[in-house]
Amino acid sequence: MASQVLPQALHMIPRNQVQPFNPVKNRGFSAFLSRGPSPLTTSKVSVSGFHSKFPVGSSFSCFARRGFVVRAESNPEGEGEGEGEAEGNENGVEEPEMKAKAEAEVEGEGEGEDEAEEEKPKEPRKPRIKLGDIMGILNKRAIEASDKERPTPDLRTGDIVEIKLEVPENRRRLSVYKGIVISKQNAGIHTTIRIRRIIAGIGVEIVFPVYSPNIKEIKVVKHRKVRRARLYYLRDKLPRLSTFK
Amino acid sequence: MRTVLKVVDNSGAKKVMCIQALKGKKGARLGDTIIASVKEAMPNGKVKKGKVVYGVVVRAAMQRGRCDGSEVKFDDNAVVLVDKQGQPIGTRVFGPVPHELRQKKHVKILTLAEHIA
Repeated sequence: MASQVLPQALHMIPRNQVQPFNPVKNRGFSAFLSRGPSPLTTSKVSVSGFHSKFPVGSSFSCFARRGFVVRAESNPEGEGEGEGEAEGNENGVEEPEMKAKAEAEVEGEGEGEDEAEEEKPKEPRKPRIKLGDIMGILNKRAIEASDKERPTPDLRTGDIVEIKLEVPENRRRLSVYKGIVISKQNAGIHTTIRIRRIIAGIGVEIVFPVYSPNIKEIKVVKHRKVRRARLYYLRDKLPRLSTFK
Repeated sequence: MRTVLKVVDNSGAKKVMCIQALKGKKGARLGDTIIASVKEAMPNGKVKKGKVVYGVVVRAAMQRGRCDGSEVKFDDNAVVLVDKQGQPIGTRVFGPVPHELRQKKHVKILTLAEHIA
């Protein structure tokens, strides 16, 4: 760890390789490890006593910045700012490495950072996509794609709807299903509604996936005021309540 | 096994009890054929009480999934009596029947039906 690497050697790692998604961490670490306390920074050991109070999440940004910084033609410029950065950088650094070394390193970084900032304006950071958001984003995209072909109206429990469905078996004509929505299950692209109707004396419930390409049209004909999200009580009630002409 | 189903054609029987599901290890579903014993029958009908007959399940209270992701479910369990070849014994079918019968090649029942759900 205490290898005396010349500052010029730090040019090896260009800035644009350091992106939030890549396994930058390793590179950052190796960059760190390969760097020794540069002769210029040893003089400023005033950055002591910083403790990692910042959330670990900022460690990535630390590494990103370190990418800038690795160009260590470190001149002593704007040290106040450098120290400010140093705090953030130090946090990510502290976990794996010793504090003393971190402080020394961080100063060098802070100075290099200023230089990088002077060179180009800081770009707004792109919002990071977390692992837990991926399904939500994919579902939203799929829903938008299906909405483009056929707009889906806003459906709620208690709506009396009419659905025109294309059935592969009945190739000639579209089947029409009318009924009251007794439940809606939200599941992204597989959002389904359950339609109930009395057909020829027998109650029939059909579950339709709302964004299915087989559904050619959904139209809300009427609305009945209900005070429930799921109208399963209609199964026990008189057939008259589930009859729709 | 032992499920009592309603008979929805005019073959004379009123209620039958399933004694065997011909296909399926876990029992017959919508569209399957079963062997049943007539438990209740009209006095003058083509089938009498106690006769062992074949039937096609046309309505089931258990939901049946379709290939496009939809599911269909009826409020009762009903059967149409057929002969060994699959032709219905009666001449009329009451109530709605599902699409699934077309795939099972019960076209005659579909044509006799009041409504295809």
